[in-house]
Amino acid sequence: MKNRSKLQKIASGIWEYTLSIGIFIAFWFVYVRFADVPAYILPSPGVVWISFVDLFRTGMVWPHLWTTSYEVLFGFFIGSLLGMILGYIFIKIDFLKVALMPYLIFLQTAPKIALVPLFVIWFGIGIVSKIVLIISMVIFPVLSGMMLGLDSIPADVRNLLKVLKANRWQVFSQVEIKYSLPALFSSLKIGIVQAVIGAIVAEWMSGKQGLGYILTYASSTYKISMLLAGIVLTILLGIATYEMVNIFENKLLYWHESKRNQE
Amino acid sequence: MGQKENDVVIRDLDKIYGNLLKEDTVALKGINLSIKKGEFVSIIGPSGCGKSTLLKIIGGLEKLSAGTIEYSDPENRLGFVFQDSVLLPWKNVRENAEFPLVIQKKQTKENEEKLDALLDLAGLKEFSSALPRELSGGMKSRVSIVRALSYDAPLLLMDEPFGALDALTRDHLNIELLKIWSKTNKTIIFVTHSIEEAVFLSDRVIVMATRPGRIREIVPIDLTRPRDEDSRNDSKFGEYCRYLREIIG
Ligand SMILES: Nc1ncnc2c1ncn2[C@@H]1O[C@H](COP(=O)(O)OP(=O)(O)OP(=O)(O)O)[C@@H](O)[C@H]1O
Ligand SMILES: [Mg+2]
Repeated sequence: MKNRSKLQKIASGIWEYTLSIGIFIAFWFVYVRFADVPAYILPSPGVVWISFVDLFRTGMVWPHLWTTSYEVLFGFFIGSLLGMILGYIFIKIDFLKVALMPYLIFLQTAPKIALVPLFVIWFGIGIVSKIVLIISMVIFPVLSGMMLGLDSIPADVRNLLKVLKANRWQVFSQVEIKYSLPALFSSLKIGIVQAVIGAIVAEWMSGKQGLGYILTYASSTYKISMLLAGIVLTILLGIATYEMVNIFENKLLYWHESKRNQE
Repeated sequence: MGQKENDVVIRDLDKIYGNLLKEDTVALKGINLSIKKGEFVSIIGPSGCGKSTLLKIIGGLEKLSAGTIEYSDPENRLGFVFQDSVLLPWKNVRENAEFPLVIQKKQTKENEEKLDALLDLAGLKEFSSALPRELSGGMKSRVSIVRALSYDAPLLLMDEPFGALDALTRDHLNIELLKIWSKTNKTIIFVTHSIEEAVFLSDRVIVMATRPGRIREIVPIDLTRPRDEDSRNDSKFGEYCRYLREIIG
Protein backbone atom coordinates (compact mmCIF):
# COMPACT_ATOMS: atom_id res chain seq x y z
CA MET A 1 0.00 0.00 0.00
CA LYS A 2 2.66 2.42 1.12
CA ASN A 3 4.96 1.36 -1.73
CA ARG A 4 2.30 1.77 -4.34
CA SER A 5 1.43 5.28 -3.33
CA LYS A 6 5.15 6.08 -3.32
CA LEU A 7 5.48 4.81 -6.91
CA GLN A 8 2.41 6.73 -7.93
CA LYS A 9 3.89 9.85 -6.45
CA ILE A 10 7.14 9.43 -8.37
CA ALA A 11 5.22 8.68 -11.57
CA SER A 12 3.03 11.74 -11.21
CA GLY A 13 6.13 13.81 -10.44
CA ILE A 14 7.80 12.69 -13.66
CA TRP A 15 4.60 13.31 -15.56
CA GLU A 16 4.34 16.88 -14.24
CA TYR A 17 7.96 17.57 -15.19
CA THR A 18 7.50 16.19 -18.69
CA LEU A 19 4.32 18.13 -19.19
CA SER A 20 5.76 21.49 -18.15
CA ILE A 21 8.95 21.02 -20.17
CA GLY A 22 6.87 19.76 -23.09
CA ILE A 23 4.70 22.87 -23.07
CA PHE A 24 7.81 25.05 -22.96
CA ILE A 25 9.39 23.26 -25.92
CA ALA A 26 6.14 23.43 -27.87
CA PHE A 27 5.99 27.19 -27.38
CA TRP A 28 9.63 27.51 -28.43
CA PHE A 29 8.98 25.43 -31.54
CA VAL A 30 5.88 27.38 -32.55
CA TYR A 31 7.56 30.73 -31.89
CA VAL A 32 10.65 29.96 -33.97
CA ARG A 33 8.53 28.55 -36.79
CA PHE A 34 5.89 31.27 -37.07
CA ALA A 35 7.83 34.36 -36.03
CA ASP A 36 10.55 33.51 -38.56
CA VAL A 37 13.37 33.80 -36.06
CA PRO A 38 16.70 33.33 -37.85
CA ALA A 39 18.59 30.18 -36.77
CA TYR A 40 21.69 32.19 -35.68
CA ILE A 41 19.55 33.99 -33.08
CA LEU A 42 17.44 31.10 -31.84
CA PRO A 43 17.50 27.70 -33.52
CA SER A 44 14.51 25.41 -33.21
CA PRO A 45 14.42 22.84 -30.40
CA GLY A 46 15.04 20.06 -32.93
CA VAL A 47 18.35 21.58 -34.03
CA VAL A 48 19.47 22.08 -30.43
CA TRP A 49 18.55 18.49 -29.68
CA ILE A 50 20.71 17.29 -32.59
CA SER A 51 23.61 19.39 -31.30
CA PHE A 52 23.08 17.99 -27.84
CA VAL A 53 23.17 14.43 -29.12
CA ASP A 54 26.22 15.27 -31.24
CA LEU A 55 28.12 16.39 -28.15
CA PHE A 56 27.84 12.86 -26.88
CA ARG A 57 27.93 10.99 -30.23
CA THR A 58 31.26 12.49 -31.18
CA GLY A 59 32.48 11.91 -27.65
CA MET A 60 33.92 15.43 -27.47
CA VAL A 61 31.87 16.34 -24.38
CA TRP A 62 33.09 13.59 -22.05
CA PRO A 63 36.39 15.08 -20.87
CA HIS A 64 34.68 18.44 -20.34
CA LEU A 65 31.76 16.94 -18.45
CA TRP A 66 34.18 14.93 -16.35
CA THR A 67 36.33 17.97 -15.55
CA THR A 68 33.38 20.09 -14.49
CA SER A 69 31.75 17.32 -12.44
CA TYR A 70 35.02 16.60 -10.73
CA GLU A 71 35.60 20.27 -9.88
CA VAL A 72 32.04 20.68 -8.62
CA LEU A 73 32.02 17.57 -6.43
CA PHE A 74 35.54 17.95 -5.09
CA GLY A 75 35.19 21.69 -4.43
CA PHE A 76 31.78 21.18 -2.85
CA PHE A 77 33.09 18.42 -0.63
CA ILE A 78 36.09 20.37 0.64
CA GLY A 79 34.11 23.62 0.92
CA SER A 80 31.31 21.98 2.93
CA LEU A 81 33.74 20.18 5.17
CA LEU A 82 35.63 23.41 5.91
CA GLY A 83 32.34 25.26 6.39
CA MET A 84 31.10 22.71 8.88
CA ILE A 85 34.37 22.64 10.83
CA LEU A 86 34.61 26.44 10.93
CA GLY A 87 30.95 26.76 11.93
CA TYR A 88 31.49 24.36 14.82
CA ILE A 89 34.65 26.13 15.94
CA PHE A 90 33.00 29.56 15.73
CA ILE A 91 30.11 28.45 17.92
CA LYS A 92 32.47 26.91 20.48
CA ILE A 93 35.16 29.60 20.54
CA ASP A 94 33.68 33.07 20.51
CA PHE A 95 37.04 34.75 20.16
CA LEU A 96 37.79 33.06 16.83
CA LYS A 97 34.37 33.99 15.52
CA VAL A 98 34.96 37.64 16.32
CA ALA A 99 38.44 37.53 14.82
CA LEU A 100 37.71 35.64 11.60
CA MET A 101 34.13 36.50 10.70
CA PRO A 102 34.97 39.85 9.03
CA TYR A 103 37.26 38.10 6.54
CA LEU A 104 34.61 35.56 5.69
CA ILE A 105 31.99 38.24 5.20
CA PHE A 106 34.45 40.06 2.97
CA LEU A 107 34.97 36.86 1.01
CA GLN A 108 31.25 36.32 0.80
CA THR A 109 30.31 39.80 -0.39
CA ALA A 110 33.20 40.28 -2.83
CA PRO A 111 31.98 39.56 -6.37
CA LYS A 112 33.49 36.17 -7.12
CA ILE A 113 34.10 36.93 -10.79
CA ALA A 114 36.47 39.67 -9.69
CA LEU A 115 38.46 37.10 -7.76
CA VAL A 116 38.95 34.72 -10.68
CA PRO A 117 41.90 36.61 -12.27
CA LEU A 118 43.53 36.82 -8.85
CA PHE A 119 43.09 33.10 -8.26
CA VAL A 120 44.49 32.42 -11.75
CA ILE A 121 47.63 34.43 -10.91
CA TRP A 122 47.99 32.67 -7.57
CA PHE A 123 47.01 29.14 -8.51
CA GLY A 124 47.48 28.96 -12.29
CA ILE A 125 44.92 28.33 -15.02
CA GLY A 126 44.61 24.66 -14.07
CA ILE A 127 42.11 22.96 -11.89
CA VAL A 128 43.43 24.36 -8.59
CA SER A 129 42.25 27.92 -9.17
CA LYS A 130 38.79 26.61 -10.07
CA ILE A 131 38.50 24.49 -6.98
CA VAL A 132 39.68 27.36 -4.81
CA LEU A 133 36.94 29.54 -6.30
CA ILE A 134 34.31 26.85 -5.69
CA ILE A 135 35.45 26.38 -2.11
CA SER A 136 35.22 30.13 -1.55
CA MET A 137 31.63 30.07 -2.81
CA VAL A 138 30.50 27.01 -0.86
CA ILE A 139 32.14 27.69 2.47
CA PHE A 140 30.08 30.65 3.64
CA PRO A 141 26.55 29.33 3.22
CA VAL A 142 27.56 26.03 4.82
CA LEU A 143 29.28 27.79 7.70
CA SER A 144 26.17 29.92 8.33
CA GLY A 145 23.93 26.85 8.14
CA MET A 146 26.10 24.94 10.59
CA MET A 147 26.08 27.83 13.07
CA LEU A 148 22.33 28.28 12.76
CA GLY A 149 21.84 24.55 13.30
CA LEU A 150 24.05 24.43 16.39
CA ASP A 151 22.27 27.48 17.81
CA SER A 152 18.88 25.84 17.34
CA ILE A 153 19.50 23.23 20.04
CA PRO A 154 17.00 23.84 22.87
CA ALA A 155 18.56 24.92 26.18
CA ASP A 156 16.96 22.02 28.04
CA VAL A 157 18.52 19.50 25.65
CA ARG A 158 21.91 20.91 26.62
CA ASN A 159 20.79 20.71 30.25
CA LEU A 160 19.83 17.07 29.79
CA LEU A 161 23.31 16.31 28.43
CA LYS A 162 24.85 18.11 31.37
CA VAL A 163 22.76 16.14 33.87
CA LEU A 164 23.87 12.92 32.15
CA LYS A 165 27.50 14.14 32.20
CA ALA A 166 27.91 13.52 28.48
CA ASN A 167 31.40 14.19 27.20
CA ARG A 168 32.19 16.59 24.36
CA TRP A 169 32.31 13.88 21.71
CA GLN A 170 28.99 12.41 22.82
CA VAL A 171 27.41 15.86 22.77
CA PHE A 172 28.67 16.38 19.23
CA SER A 173 28.00 12.97 17.72
CA GLN A 174 24.73 12.17 19.49
CA VAL A 175 23.01 15.52 19.54
CA GLU A 176 24.69 18.52 17.95
CA ILE A 177 25.23 17.04 14.51
CA LYS A 178 21.68 15.71 14.36
CA TYR A 179 20.10 18.98 15.42
CA SER A 180 22.27 20.80 12.86
CA LEU A 181 21.18 18.66 9.93
CA PRO A 182 18.01 20.55 8.88
CA ALA A 183 19.74 23.93 8.67
CA LEU A 184 22.89 22.30 7.34
CA PHE A 185 21.07 20.66 4.45
CA SER A 186 19.35 23.91 3.49
CA SER A 187 22.80 25.44 3.25
CA LEU A 188 24.30 22.45 1.41
CA LYS A 189 21.62 22.86 -1.26
CA ILE A 190 22.64 26.47 -1.70
CA GLY A 191 26.27 25.34 -1.67
CA ILE A 192 25.91 22.79 -4.45
CA VAL A 193 24.19 25.31 -6.72
CA GLN A 194 26.97 27.79 -5.95
CA ALA A 195 29.55 25.13 -6.77
CA VAL A 196 28.14 24.58 -10.26
CA ILE A 197 28.00 28.33 -10.90
CA GLY A 198 31.55 28.69 -9.62
CA ALA A 199 32.87 25.94 -11.87
CA ILE A 200 31.20 27.33 -15.00
CA VAL A 201 32.30 30.90 -14.29
CA ALA A 202 35.89 29.84 -13.64
CA GLU A 203 36.05 27.73 -16.79
CA TRP A 204 34.42 30.50 -18.77
CA MET A 205 37.15 32.90 -17.74
CA SER A 206 40.18 30.66 -17.99
CA GLY A 207 41.24 27.21 -19.06
CA LYS A 208 40.70 24.80 -21.89
CA GLN A 209 38.52 22.22 -20.23
CA GLY A 210 35.02 21.96 -18.82
CA LEU A 211 31.46 22.82 -19.73
CA GLY A 212 32.20 26.52 -19.19
CA TYR A 213 34.88 26.24 -21.83
CA ILE A 214 32.40 24.65 -24.28
CA LEU A 215 30.15 27.66 -23.72
CA THR A 216 32.93 30.19 -24.47
CA TYR A 217 34.08 28.18 -27.43
CA ALA A 218 30.55 27.91 -28.90
CA SER A 219 29.82 31.56 -28.29
CA SER A 220 33.07 32.85 -29.77
CA THR A 221 32.59 30.71 -32.88
CA TYR A 222 28.88 31.59 -33.21
CA LYS A 223 27.77 27.98 -32.82
CA ILE A 224 24.48 28.99 -31.24
CA SER A 225 22.91 25.52 -31.23
CA MET A 226 26.00 24.12 -29.52
CA LEU A 227 25.86 26.98 -27.02
CA LEU A 228 22.26 26.16 -26.18
CA ALA A 229 23.05 22.45 -25.95
CA GLY A 230 25.90 23.33 -23.56
CA ILE A 231 23.56 25.44 -21.44
CA VAL A 232 21.07 22.57 -21.25
CA LEU A 233 23.86 20.23 -20.18
CA THR A 234 24.97 22.68 -17.48
CA ILE A 235 21.41 22.84 -16.17
CA LEU A 236 21.20 19.05 -16.16
CA LEU A 237 24.44 18.84 -14.22
CA GLY A 238 23.05 21.35 -11.73
CA ILE A 239 19.84 19.36 -11.29
CA ALA A 240 21.71 16.06 -10.93
CA THR A 241 24.09 17.34 -8.24
CA TYR A 242 21.25 19.12 -6.42
CA GLU A 243 19.21 15.92 -6.41
CA MET A 244 22.17 14.06 -4.94
CA VAL A 245 22.14 16.38 -1.94
CA ASN A 246 18.36 16.00 -1.80
CA ILE A 247 18.57 12.22 -1.66
CA PHE A 248 21.05 12.40 1.21
CA GLU A 249 18.75 14.80 3.01
CA ASN A 250 15.75 12.51 2.68
CA LYS A 251 17.83 9.61 3.97
CA LEU A 252 19.19 11.46 7.00
CA LEU A 253 16.24 13.65 7.92
CA TYR A 254 13.47 11.05 7.90
CA TRP A 255 12.57 12.11 11.44
CA HIS A 256 12.11 15.79 10.69
CA GLU A 257 8.73 17.56 10.66
CA SER A 258 9.28 18.69 7.08
CA LYS A 259 9.38 15.04 5.94
CA ARG A 260 6.17 14.08 7.69
CA ASN A 261 4.08 13.91 4.51
CA GLN A 262 6.68 12.34 2.29
CA GLU A 263 6.56 8.83 3.67
CA MET B 1 12.08 10.43 59.68
CA GLY B 2 13.96 12.79 61.96
CA GLN B 3 16.95 10.51 62.32
CA LYS B 4 17.42 10.14 58.56
CA GLU B 5 20.45 11.59 56.85
CA ASN B 6 20.16 14.75 54.76
CA ASP B 7 20.44 14.36 51.01
CA VAL B 8 20.50 18.01 49.93
CA VAL B 9 21.17 20.96 52.20
CA ILE B 10 20.65 24.50 50.92
CA ARG B 11 21.85 27.45 52.98
CA ASP B 12 21.10 31.16 52.43
CA LEU B 13 20.68 30.72 48.71
CA ASP B 14 20.15 33.78 46.50
CA LYS B 15 19.70 33.82 42.76
CA ILE B 16 19.82 37.06 40.84
CA TYR B 17 19.44 37.25 37.07
CA GLY B 18 21.45 40.23 35.83
CA ASN B 19 19.83 42.40 33.21
CA LEU B 20 21.55 45.11 31.21
CA LEU B 21 18.47 47.16 30.42
CA LYS B 22 16.11 46.65 33.32
CA GLU B 23 16.54 46.13 37.02
CA ASP B 24 18.06 42.76 37.98
CA THR B 25 15.54 40.01 38.71
CA VAL B 26 15.83 38.60 42.22
CA ALA B 27 14.55 35.13 41.38
CA LEU B 28 15.34 33.60 44.78
CA LYS B 29 16.14 35.23 48.12
CA GLY B 30 17.37 33.61 51.35
CA ILE B 31 16.39 30.01 50.64
CA ASN B 32 17.16 27.57 53.47
CA LEU B 33 16.09 23.99 52.96
CA SER B 34 17.19 20.49 53.95
CA ILE B 35 15.87 17.48 52.10
CA LYS B 36 16.21 14.05 53.65
CA LYS B 37 17.35 10.90 51.91
CA GLY B 38 14.40 9.12 50.36
CA GLU B 39 12.05 12.00 51.02
CA PHE B 40 9.32 13.10 48.60
CA VAL B 41 9.08 16.89 48.61
CA SER B 42 6.83 19.07 46.48
CA ILE B 43 7.35 22.71 45.63
CA ILE B 44 4.28 24.78 44.93
CA GLY B 45 3.70 28.48 44.38
CA PRO B 46 2.49 31.10 41.93
CA SER B 47 3.91 31.30 38.42
CA GLY B 48 7.25 33.09 38.31
CA CYS B 49 8.09 32.54 41.99
CA GLY B 50 11.28 30.67 41.06
CA LYS B 51 10.30 27.00 41.29
CA SER B 52 12.06 26.00 38.06
CA THR B 53 15.03 28.17 38.96
CA LEU B 54 15.39 26.48 42.35
CA LEU B 55 15.16 23.04 40.76
CA LYS B 56 17.76 23.92 38.13
CA ILE B 57 20.13 25.23 40.79
CA ILE B 58 19.75 22.01 42.76
CA GLY B 59 20.40 20.11 39.51
CA GLY B 60 23.60 22.08 38.91
CA LEU B 61 22.21 23.68 35.76
CA GLU B 62 22.22 27.27 37.03
CA LYS B 63 24.89 29.03 39.04
CA LEU B 64 23.86 30.39 42.40
CA SER B 65 24.51 34.03 43.26
CA ALA B 66 25.05 33.48 46.99
CA GLY B 67 24.84 30.67 49.55
CA THR B 68 25.81 27.00 49.46
CA ILE B 69 24.40 23.62 48.48
CA GLU B 70 25.70 20.32 49.82
CA TYR B 71 24.87 16.91 48.42
CA SER B 72 25.22 13.56 50.14
CA ASP B 73 26.06 11.79 46.88
CA PRO B 74 29.70 12.56 46.06
CA GLU B 75 29.12 11.78 42.38
CA ASN B 76 26.08 14.03 42.32
CA ARG B 77 24.05 11.62 40.20
CA LEU B 78 20.59 12.89 39.43
CA GLY B 79 17.66 12.53 37.09
CA PHE B 80 15.84 15.57 35.73
CA VAL B 81 12.41 15.77 34.15
CA PHE B 82 12.14 19.11 32.40
CA GLN B 83 9.05 21.26 32.17
CA ASP B 84 8.96 20.59 28.40
CA SER B 85 9.67 16.97 27.68
CA VAL B 86 12.73 17.63 25.42
CA LEU B 87 12.80 14.36 23.50
CA LEU B 88 15.31 13.92 20.70
CA PRO B 89 13.16 14.06 17.55
CA TRP B 90 15.14 11.47 15.56
CA LYS B 91 15.00 8.82 18.27
CA ASN B 92 11.94 6.67 18.80
CA VAL B 93 10.28 6.21 22.18
CA ARG B 94 12.51 3.41 23.36
CA GLU B 95 15.71 5.02 22.10
CA ASN B 96 14.82 8.25 23.85
CA ALA B 97 14.18 6.45 27.10
CA GLU B 98 17.40 4.49 26.65
CA PHE B 99 19.48 7.60 25.95
CA PRO B 100 20.95 7.96 29.49
CA LEU B 101 22.08 4.32 29.42
CA VAL B 102 23.80 4.95 26.08
CA ILE B 103 25.55 8.09 27.30
CA GLN B 104 26.64 6.46 30.54
CA LYS B 105 27.55 3.19 28.79
CA LYS B 106 25.28 1.15 31.04
CA GLN B 107 23.36 -0.86 28.48
CA THR B 108 23.50 -4.04 30.53
CA LYS B 109 20.90 -6.76 30.10
CA GLU B 110 19.54 -5.96 33.53
CA ASN B 111 19.11 -2.25 32.79
CA GLU B 112 17.49 -2.97 29.43
CA GLU B 113 14.97 -5.26 31.07
CA LYS B 114 14.28 -2.64 33.71
CA LEU B 115 13.73 -0.10 30.95
CA ASP B 116 11.22 -2.33 29.18
CA ALA B 117 9.36 -2.84 32.44
CA LEU B 118 9.21 0.93 32.97
CA LEU B 119 7.94 1.50 29.42
CA ASP B 120 5.28 -1.09 30.06
CA LEU B 121 4.34 0.54 33.32
CA ALA B 122 4.00 3.93 31.63
CA GLY B 123 1.75 2.40 28.97
CA LEU B 124 4.29 3.03 26.22
CA LYS B 125 5.10 -0.52 25.19
CA GLU B 126 3.07 -0.50 21.96
CA PHE B 127 4.63 2.83 21.03
CA SER B 128 8.26 1.76 21.46
CA SER B 129 9.15 2.49 17.85
CA ALA B 130 7.06 5.66 17.42
CA LEU B 131 8.88 8.94 16.78
CA PRO B 132 8.19 11.90 19.12
CA ARG B 133 6.27 13.77 16.42
CA GLU B 134 3.74 10.91 16.45
CA LEU B 135 3.06 11.20 20.20
CA SER B 136 0.54 13.22 22.20
CA GLY B 137 1.78 15.70 24.79
CA GLY B 138 0.97 13.31 27.61
CA MET B 139 2.84 10.46 25.99
CA LYS B 140 5.90 12.66 25.50
CA SER B 141 5.98 13.58 29.15
CA ARG B 142 5.68 9.91 30.10
CA VAL B 143 8.68 9.11 27.90
CA SER B 144 10.71 11.83 29.56
CA ILE B 145 9.80 10.45 32.98
CA VAL B 146 10.82 6.92 32.00
CA ARG B 147 14.07 8.38 30.66
CA ALA B 148 14.80 9.98 34.03
CA LEU B 149 14.02 6.72 35.84
CA SER B 150 15.95 4.45 33.47
CA TYR B 151 19.27 4.83 35.26
CA ASP B 152 19.82 4.69 38.97
CA ALA B 153 20.20 8.26 40.13
CA PRO B 154 19.42 8.58 43.83
CA LEU B 155 18.00 12.10 43.38
CA LEU B 156 15.13 12.83 41.00
CA LEU B 157 14.12 16.40 40.13
CA MET B 158 10.79 16.80 38.36
CA ASP B 159 9.49 20.09 36.96
CA GLU B 160 5.72 19.83 36.47
CA PRO B 161 6.06 16.44 34.80
CA PHE B 162 2.32 15.82 34.67
CA GLY B 163 1.34 19.36 33.67
CA ALA B 164 0.33 18.25 30.17
CA LEU B 165 -1.86 15.36 31.30
CA ASP B 166 -5.60 15.01 31.88
CA ALA B 167 -6.72 14.56 35.48
CA LEU B 168 -7.40 10.81 35.17
CA THR B 169 -4.04 9.90 33.67
CA ARG B 170 -2.39 12.20 36.13
CA ASP B 171 -3.97 10.48 39.15
CA HIS B 172 -3.00 7.11 37.71
CA LEU B 173 0.62 8.11 37.10
CA ASN B 174 0.83 9.67 40.56
CA ILE B 175 0.13 6.27 42.05
CA GLU B 176 2.66 4.60 39.75
CA LEU B 177 5.26 7.21 40.66
CA LEU B 178 4.72 6.53 44.36
CA LYS B 179 5.15 2.79 43.72
CA ILE B 180 8.43 3.35 41.92
CA TRP B 181 9.57 5.77 44.60
CA SER B 182 8.88 3.33 47.42
CA LYS B 183 10.69 0.54 45.56
CA THR B 184 13.78 2.57 44.67
CA ASN B 185 14.30 4.80 47.72
CA LYS B 186 14.94 7.79 45.51
CA THR B 187 14.78 11.31 46.86
CA ILE B 188 12.25 13.21 44.78
CA ILE B 189 11.81 16.96 44.48
CA PHE B 190 8.63 17.61 42.55
CA VAL B 191 7.42 20.98 41.22
CA THR B 192 3.70 21.25 40.56
CA HIS B 193 0.85 23.72 40.19
CA SER B 194 -1.68 21.30 41.61
CA ILE B 195 -2.32 21.46 45.35
CA GLU B 196 -4.06 18.05 45.32
CA GLU B 197 -1.11 16.46 43.56
CA ALA B 198 1.36 17.98 46.01
CA VAL B 199 -0.60 16.75 49.02
CA PHE B 200 -1.18 13.30 47.56
CA LEU B 201 2.48 12.68 46.73
CA SER B 202 4.54 14.40 49.36
CA ASP B 203 6.07 14.06 52.78
CA ARG B 204 6.38 17.84 52.85
CA VAL B 205 4.99 20.61 50.69
CA ILE B 206 7.16 23.70 50.26
CA VAL B 207 5.04 26.75 49.59
CA MET B 208 6.86 29.55 47.80
CA ALA B 209 5.96 33.21 47.47
CA THR B 210 6.92 35.61 44.76
CA ARG B 211 8.90 38.86 44.42
CA PRO B 212 11.40 38.01 45.61
CA GLY B 213 11.08 34.22 45.27
CA ARG B 214 11.24 32.79 48.78
CA ILE B 215 9.89 30.00 50.97
CA ARG B 216 6.67 31.06 52.69
CA GLU B 217 5.94 27.91 54.64
CA ILE B 218 6.85 24.24 54.76
CA VAL B 219 3.84 22.00 55.42
CA PRO B 220 4.48 18.39 56.56
CA ILE B 221 1.83 16.02 55.15
CA ASP B 222 0.97 13.39 57.70
CA LEU B 223 -1.05 10.92 55.64
CA THR B 224 -0.45 7.19 55.93
CA ARG B 225 1.56 5.36 53.28
CA PRO B 226 1.21 3.56 50.95
CA ARG B 227 -1.29 5.96 49.45
CA ASP B 228 -3.89 5.04 46.83
CA GLU B 229 -7.20 6.36 45.45
CA ASP B 230 -8.76 6.09 48.91
CA SER B 231 -6.23 8.49 50.40
CA ARG B 232 -7.97 11.30 48.50
CA ASN B 233 -11.15 10.59 50.44
CA ASP B 234 -9.37 10.89 53.78
CA SER B 235 -10.72 13.91 55.65
CA LYS B 236 -7.16 15.00 56.45
CA PHE B 237 -6.43 15.12 52.71
CA GLY B 238 -9.18 17.70 52.22
CA GLU B 239 -7.97 19.70 55.19
CA TYR B 240 -4.42 19.91 53.89
CA CYS B 241 -5.68 21.05 50.50
CA ARG B 242 -7.88 23.72 52.07
CA TYR B 243 -5.07 24.95 54.30
CA LEU B 244 -2.61 25.19 51.38
CA ARG B 245 -5.15 26.97 49.21
CA GLU B 246 -5.56 29.54 51.99
CA ILE B 247 -1.88 30.34 52.41
CA ILE B 248 -1.21 30.45 48.67
CA GLY B 249 -4.19 32.79 48.42
N1 LIG C 1 17.36 32.75 32.20
C1 LIG C 1 16.71 33.75 32.84
N2 LIG C 1 17.11 35.03 32.70
C2 LIG C 1 16.49 36.02 33.36
N3 LIG C 1 15.45 35.85 34.18
C3 LIG C 1 15.00 34.60 34.37
C4 LIG C 1 15.59 33.48 33.72
N4 LIG C 1 14.93 32.35 34.07
C5 LIG C 1 13.96 32.77 34.92
N5 LIG C 1 14.00 34.11 35.11
C6 LIG C 1 13.12 34.89 36.01
O1 LIG C 1 13.15 34.28 37.27
C7 LIG C 1 11.86 34.26 37.85
C8 LIG C 1 11.50 32.84 38.23
O2 LIG C 1 11.34 32.04 37.05
P1 LIG C 1 11.00 30.49 37.12
O3 LIG C 1 10.99 29.97 35.74
O4 LIG C 1 11.90 29.84 38.09
O5 LIG C 1 9.50 30.52 37.71
P2 LIG C 1 8.52 29.31 37.98
O6 LIG C 1 8.12 29.40 39.40
O7 LIG C 1 9.11 28.03 37.52
O8 LIG C 1 7.27 29.69 37.07
P3 LIG C 1 6.23 28.71 36.31
O9 LIG C 1 5.33 28.18 37.38
O10 LIG C 1 5.52 29.63 35.40
O11 LIG C 1 7.01 27.66 35.62
C9 LIG C 1 10.92 34.88 36.83
O12 LIG C 1 10.69 36.22 37.21
C10 LIG C 1 11.68 34.83 35.55
O13 LIG C 1 11.35 35.92 34.74
MG1 LIG D 1 8.63 26.63 35.97
